Amino acid sequence: MIKDRIVTLSATILLLCIVMSFLFPGQFPTVGNFSQIMLNLSIDTIVAVGMMLLMIAGVFDLSVGSIVAFSGGLAGYLMYYHDVNFLVAIAAALSGSLLIGFINGFLITKIGINPMIQTLAMMGVVRGLALMLSGAGIQNFPYEYNYIGQVKILSLQSPIWYMFAIVLIFSYLFKNIAFFRRYYFIGSNEKAAHLSGIEVEKMKLWGFVIVGLLAGIAGILLSSRLGAALSTSGKGLELRVITAVILGGASLAGGQGKIVGAFLGAAFMGIVGNILILSRVSGYWQEIILGIILILAVGIDQLIQKKVA
Amino acid sequence: MKLGLKNIAKSFEVVKALQDVSLEFHEGEVHAICGENGAGKSTLMNILTGNIQPDAGSILLDNQIVTIHNNQQARSLGINIVYQERSLTDGLSVAENIFPLPPTKSFGRINFVQLHQQTKALLQQLEIKEFSPATMVATLSPAQKTLVEIAKALATNPAILLLDEPTASLTDKETTILFSVIRTLKQRGVTVLYISHRMAEIKLIADRVSVLKDGKYQDTLSTNNCTTEDIIRLMVGRDLQQVDVATHSTEEVVLSVKNLCGKGFSDISFDLKKGEIFGLGGLVGAGRTELAMAIFGAIPADGGTILKNGHRIHNNHPKQGIANGIAYLPEERKTLGVFLQKSIAENIVSAQLYGKGYNVKANNQKAGEYAKTLNIRSSSVQQLMSKLSGGNQQKVVLAKWLNTQPDVLIVDEPTHGIDIGAKLEIYKILKQLTADGKSILLISSEMEELLLLSDRISVMREGKIKGILNKKETSENEIIKLAAQ
Repeated sequence: MIKDRIVTLSATILLLCIVMSFLFPGQFPTVGNFSQIMLNLSIDTIVAVGMMLLMIAGVFDLSVGSIVAFSGGLAGYLMYYHDVNFLVAIAAALSGSLLIGFINGFLITKIGINPMIQTLAMMGVVRGLALMLSGAGIQNFPYEYNYIGQVKILSLQSPIWYMFAIVLIFSYLFKNIAFFRRYYFIGSNEKAAHLSGIEVEKMKLWGFVIVGLLAGIAGILLSSRLGAALSTSGKGLELRVITAVILGGASLAGGQGKIVGAFLGAAFMGIVGNILILSRVSGYWQEIILGIILILAVGIDQLIQKKVA
Repeated sequence: MKLGLKNIAKSFEVVKALQDVSLEFHEGEVHAICGENGAGKSTLMNILTGNIQPDAGSILLDNQIVTIHNNQQARSLGINIVYQERSLTDGLSVAENIFPLPPTKSFGRINFVQLHQQTKALLQQLEIKEFSPATMVATLSPAQKTLVEIAKALATNPAILLLDEPTASLTDKETTILFSVIRTLKQRGVTVLYISHRMAEIKLIADRVSVLKDGKYQDTLSTNNCTTEDIIRLMVGRDLQQVDVATHSTEEVVLSVKNLCGKGFSDISFDLKKGEIFGLGGLVGAGRTELAMAIFGAIPADGGTILKNGHRIHNNHPKQGIANGIAYLPEERKTLGVFLQKSIAENIVSAQLYGKGYNVKANNQKAGEYAKTLNIRSSSVQQLMSKLSGGNQQKVVLAKWLNTQPDVLIVDEPTHGIDIGAKLEIYKILKQLTADGKSILLISSEMEELLLLSDRISVMREGKIKGILNKKETSENEIIKLAAQ
């Protein structure tokens, strides 16, 4: 069934591309447009990989959008106000993001706070921290910092390459490494996983740490690419990312999904967004359509599951 | 009311679930329906309650042909069912659960006075005294909840009541209460159709028993003039005698438990020998599962020691239990034992996700070997666990634990809820394992199973071992005496 989702989603994307090439022959099927689409979805995809990991384990994280803003904000704050070396700033930002993930995971697994409540609260807390750090926005980063997210390799901007690297690495890990494989078992039956010798709580804690780190990386890339750290960065990202992951084959019940599905889900939404721009649909509509896609994705998922049962 | 079935047939795609089944149920009798899993019992129930329509044949109520299109119609005809799964809401009172559509006053306000009165009257009729209409369902025991379910079904005043494995989660004492309610119903002229796996119960409560096998009607026996063996023979066409019960027990001690204490058990001491099947009998709630889990490391022990081959081991997590060569096949297969949405192969490797890469090909190959040796019937090892029968699922879980190469295998109710054919296969596998030098701690509530397989039997009551009996010198009665008292 998941395999089917990968196939059906790929086919849908392909079909969408073909139709759009006929409708907008001069604008849609160009290298420029495609690299723009890819660039736009690279940040989402990097976070979506982490979200896929969590949803395979049967949990999710709403604080990722805030972590993206926090990470860029912390790096920017250190470099701009304290002249910290860009590498140290990045290390600090990533450590901070990782720590937020750790706090989420710790409170959820050790204290037993519901993941939705915990990460919803953390979403607010971290957004506030991001506002404190970057205020109205920080610019004028060192050249090296901007280089990370703006350099072009083989005429594609670097975030696209980071995205592909992360998707490939995690795909490999989820296929071949027992550690990552355990998440499938945790998501499909937590109690049975415990009795199978899997340290369920520790694994979940690690999951939140990994997501925090990936969101941190996404934050660095975003601020570096824009050359600015904005406190509003990553607003609504959690909605987009969860939509992408569910489109990509994750199930709210856990135990299902593939990493490449996270990329395909994000790609589908990136292309839909591009189509809306090309068709000159107002920006307000984009959020409405995004919400509708999420409802449709979950609705179809439910219908399929009913049919299976 | 008299209920009859005439030449009922039903197929699902190629599977013939019921073929030409004709049955008659008298007014006011308790009529048991027996058969292995897949014999067609649930299909029969579903036809009677209108969930599915038969392909051919007719249902007769007092010799009138009726068609039942849905649940509601079945109820209006006087047929109601109590399913195995509970349908109660914990946060509401007994009365509200029994009458989902309560009597109302103006503006749709619930008339609680009337609701409680009519519930009270219903409970009195059933001679249920353990709880009152206002009792919250959350505070009830499993047995009491079953009684509420039955009261709920009876609130519609059915002439025919279907009970699907009503004692599945009940203790013996609770079962007694349930049976007295069933007898009250019988006196009032209600026809009870009783589905159960438990032979002893059927002899106790049913007047007649009808047996189905592979969707075909076998025979109807009067419980007064038949033995359990008669019923089993009709169900499977073979009997328990064919299991080779030769002992493989040696004198070498593999696992030695000394003064082990924990939540639900205390001061437990016993030795498990190489090649031995050590039976652990007792009633549900005697602390056997807790003890097993503590030995395995799934729940903490508070005191005492465990020696494995003479060395002290500490199992604080199942991971350590596995590393120390102990395996635990849990009691509740569906909730604790299997990953239903994962494949057979994935289930088999699920206890070994440490220290290694994950090689799909090698896993499939290994799973294929187990499927062959344990006779796991499936289209391939890629098949989802949810598509397998209970017996085959249990064999997969066994394979999963054998794959960890344990010296000690703890099996907790290994044949619970699986049909007799698969049961015999599991008995053979367990005996074969002891021949290969493994030691087995067998927890079972079925006396027959304990006596058949165990080399020695210990009986637990209220968290303590009340005695260790040698198989040769013990009997069912002696075990029950120790377990209950």
